[in-house]
Amino acid sequence: MQPVGIVLVSHSAELASGLRMLLGQLGVAPESVIAAGGTADGRIGTSYDAIAAAIKHADQGSGVVVLPDLGSSVITARAVLEDHGHAGVILVDAPFVEGAVAAAVTAATGADLTTVTTAAQEARHATKF
Amino acid sequence: MPPSSDPTLDIVLPAHLHARPAGRLARAAAELGCRLEITHDGRTVDATGILGILGLGATAGATVTIRATGDGAQQAVDDIAQLLRSID
Repeated sequence: MQPVGIVLVSHSAELASGLRMLLGQLGVAPESVIAAGGTADGRIGTSYDAIAAAIKHADQGSGVVVLPDLGSSVITARAVLEDHGHAGVILVDAPFVEGAVAAAVTAATGADLTTVTTAAQEARHATKF
Repeated sequence: MPPSSDPTLDIVLPAHLHARPAGRLARAAAELGCRLEITHDGRTVDATGILGILGLGATAGATVTIRATGDGAQQAVDDIAQLLRSID
């Protein structure tokens, strides 16, 4: 069983790839976490194509959670899901860093899409100290 | 007061409980057949919750207490203790 895929959608390529590196520390299968940050020409913003490609790569048969960094990246992510989405690809409303960390560790234990989605959503209640 | 019969163990951490070891702990705890909690500085969290563990801010030299309840609790405490003693 392949792990649930995680797509990190950000306005910043560095933000998305940096978070992906952090998730790598948590014992996550690197190929199951795909960063989709910034515009195609490297500016701050989101890229429809980057998100669509990321979802395709992250989906290894167990579904994908799509984590947007801010509300405005939801717009592009939604557009992609409307065109290429299927039941196994879920846009999750969660804090970007904590949600990704919770989702990644949960996915790494082999949990299913629903469990991974819930873990990301519950990150909203986590406190740092 | 929790029932004293639950297997409990204090462990002095050889390293900070930061992202990598915390990830190992959370994943190992998820494999256990029972519930295991970890306490540090008066805060207790479920050991399967990565964010809770990271929120403990447990550093090298700090003592943490682990307690397991349910089937295989003693084995769980022993296994997780071994893991915590080997973090770096």
